[in-house]
Amino acid sequence: MAVIEQSPPAVAQRPSPTGPKKGLRKYWHLYAAISPFYLIFLGFGLFPVGFSLYLSFHRWDGLGSMEWAGLSQYQYLLSDSDFWNSIGNTIIIWALATLPMIFLAMITAVMLNSAVRFKNLYRFAYFLPNVTSVVAIAIVFGSIFSTNFGMVNAILNAVGIDQIAWLNTPWGIKVTIAALMTWQWTGYNAIIFLAGLQTVPSELYEAARMDGAGPVQTFFKITLPLLRPTLLFVLVVSTVTGLQSFSEPQVLLQTSSNDSTFAGGPGHSGQTMVLYFFQQTFDNNDFGYGAAVAWGIFLVVVLFSIINWRLVQRRGD
Amino acid sequence: MQLSRRGLLRAGLAGTAATALGGLASGCAVPTGSTGRNMVLWYWSGGLSDTVVKNAKTRYDSSVDLRAIQIGGQYRSKLITTITGQAHVPDIAGLKGEDMAAYLPNADQFIDLRTLGAEKYKSQYLPWKWDQGIADDGTMVGFPIDCGPVAHFYQYEVFRKAGLPYEPADVSKELSTWEAFFAAGEQLKKRIPGTQLLTDVNSVFENVVQQGSKRYVDKDRHFIGDQQHVRDAWALAVEAKKRGIVSDLVNGTPDQLSAVQDGKLPSQLGASWASFDIKNGVPKTKGRWRIADMPVRPANNGGSFLSITKACREPEKAFQIITWILNAANQAQGYVDAGLFPSTPASYDLKQLREADPFFGGQVTTDIFGPAAQKIVVAYNSPYDIALGTPIKDEIKNVGVLGKDPEKAWSDAMSKCRRIAKHLGVSY
Repeated sequence: MAVIEQSPPAVAQRPSPTGPKKGLRKYWHLYAAISPFYLIFLGFGLFPVGFSLYLSFHRWDGLGSMEWAGLSQYQYLLSDSDFWNSIGNTIIIWALATLPMIFLAMITAVMLNSAVRFKNLYRFAYFLPNVTSVVAIAIVFGSIFSTNFGMVNAILNAVGIDQIAWLNTPWGIKVTIAALMTWQWTGYNAIIFLAGLQTVPSELYEAARMDGAGPVQTFFKITLPLLRPTLLFVLVVSTVTGLQSFSEPQVLLQTSSNDSTFAGGPGHSGQTMVLYFFQQTFDNNDFGYGAAVAWGIFLVVVLFSIINWRLVQRRGD
Repeated sequence: MQLSRRGLLRAGLAGTAATALGGLASGCAVPTGSTGRNMVLWYWSGGLSDTVVKNAKTRYDSSVDLRAIQIGGQYRSKLITTITGQAHVPDIAGLKGEDMAAYLPNADQFIDLRTLGAEKYKSQYLPWKWDQGIADDGTMVGFPIDCGPVAHFYQYEVFRKAGLPYEPADVSKELSTWEAFFAAGEQLKKRIPGTQLLTDVNSVFENVVQQGSKRYVDKDRHFIGDQQHVRDAWALAVEAKKRGIVSDLVNGTPDQLSAVQDGKLPSQLGASWASFDIKNGVPKTKGRWRIADMPVRPANNGGSFLSITKACREPEKAFQIITWILNAANQAQGYVDAGLFPSTPASYDLKQLREADPFFGGQVTTDIFGPAAQKIVVAYNSPYDIALGTPIKDEIKNVGVLGKDPEKAWSDAMSKCRRIAKHLGVSY
């Protein structure tokens, strides 16, 4: 930046009556140096957020003039059964994905921790799903869970269970999306648990062994309590990603017909909050209501964040 | 380093002011359209024939620099963003048929093509298609690109084995009512177990609605989705489900494609462009298909437009380019390159459209699509149609896929529509 070179040292030496002004004059080039982030955030982060709030009090089709709507968008939001349905879907899918995911990640981490050979290869392999494109994963899962020729139904048939129309029944859809998310995030969280496991001092394990504790007892009495901070971190991160799930149901449930790609399958069973937001905004061109839905989602996320935070606080005591 | 809160605040405010000013300054500097010499055309992959666009560039090279850009992703969102932002607005913009309802109420963002002498060309185009590009106030926003006449695609051998009519002319003649069509479905199921005529109930419901001259919301912003024309379509879709002629598969899924390939779903009601979906989705079925008229009357599904935006500096030149790109000869080229079925009936007799298609057993498909395109009636395209049609389509899907009780589904759809109509200011 050319600006910085021009700053004369004399400015900084000049006595200034007030402290803050002095600081500003003295360090302005430092402020300038850190400003790009704030300016970009202002233009592409804060302004759109503020504008969406403004938008949510209007009716707008995206092209014409805006019309003041007062609180009517929010009133409608509260009575909108589709919105409540989408909140329910999001939470159910999140729970179906997160609980098995944490369990599997924990087991994987313990196994990775005790693996002797090819340690790095395993870690790499488990991390891979997380950096794979969601769209690609969803297409593969669409095939795996397809009714007549899918791998899952082939396995069910082999053990004598009737096939299930996974992507055509309300619960099947939710389970499929949850399975996809579990597969994608287990490895990532296993790596985080692994990091947590490695901070547990080995003396504790030695002491436990001396006192005659078995592996199961060691796990529940030593590993798990000491992993609690890691567990909470994993829980918070998966809440945030889970509440924003969008691409998974969108790609998994899109059809080649004229239907909306944001509908979330039969009965809207896979329509998450963000999908519903997209449907209202971009299918219906209802930008004002879309903005109100976005703020509704924001409130739900805030609520969950508070719950998480309280959880951390209490456990931390 | 000392950093007081107030100092930080002031720095922040100064920064805000600087951005605001900078934003304003650059806002003025951004070109709001062509400079006269530059002519920017926005379309999407497959929206126009690339050959024709290239030829247009060479043809008008002496007067303008035609820059044709294929916009990927969410086309409409990107177009309305530039129009609303009033920066980098293209001079000529393609408009997708399904988005027309969103553009027409904002006709003032486009140049009225009538002022450029569009009337002169009217007789060369399909009249219903021409009318679809005109807003309520009479402003002509869109100039016709293609159309999507719907026909009945079926597998010849399967129909023959089931004892059904199998030559296109016979299929068109004998399956000309929904009753005959459904009866054929029952016969098919009886003769070849495991076979169903159509993929889902929605293809019945939506095609019946599309055949009519009314949809969900009328010109006076009144909800008409509870009237007889929709009830009839609903009843036919429910009947198709009850008589067991539809599958429980979802269009485009691996399951559905393999059923189509095995001849277990030997029939589809699809627009002209669906032939490209079939060719790509189930290439192994080459030669097995034929095309006949759909029951009752043809419908339209899809088809787009070219428009000139308000930002265009040289509308006359732009209009000249549009009319050349979309003349009968070039539309025939568009059919060959991108499967765009021409909106110019004169194209139907050109050799590009008279070629026998080996995928359809050597049939000249224009023999079906051409006459169909000229018999189409279209409904008023309301900006509220999507919002108020979706609940009904969702509920008929619930009937078809989840086995929901049709009575309950209909009343659920209506109560949802009532709520949405109230929210959107549509009278119920």
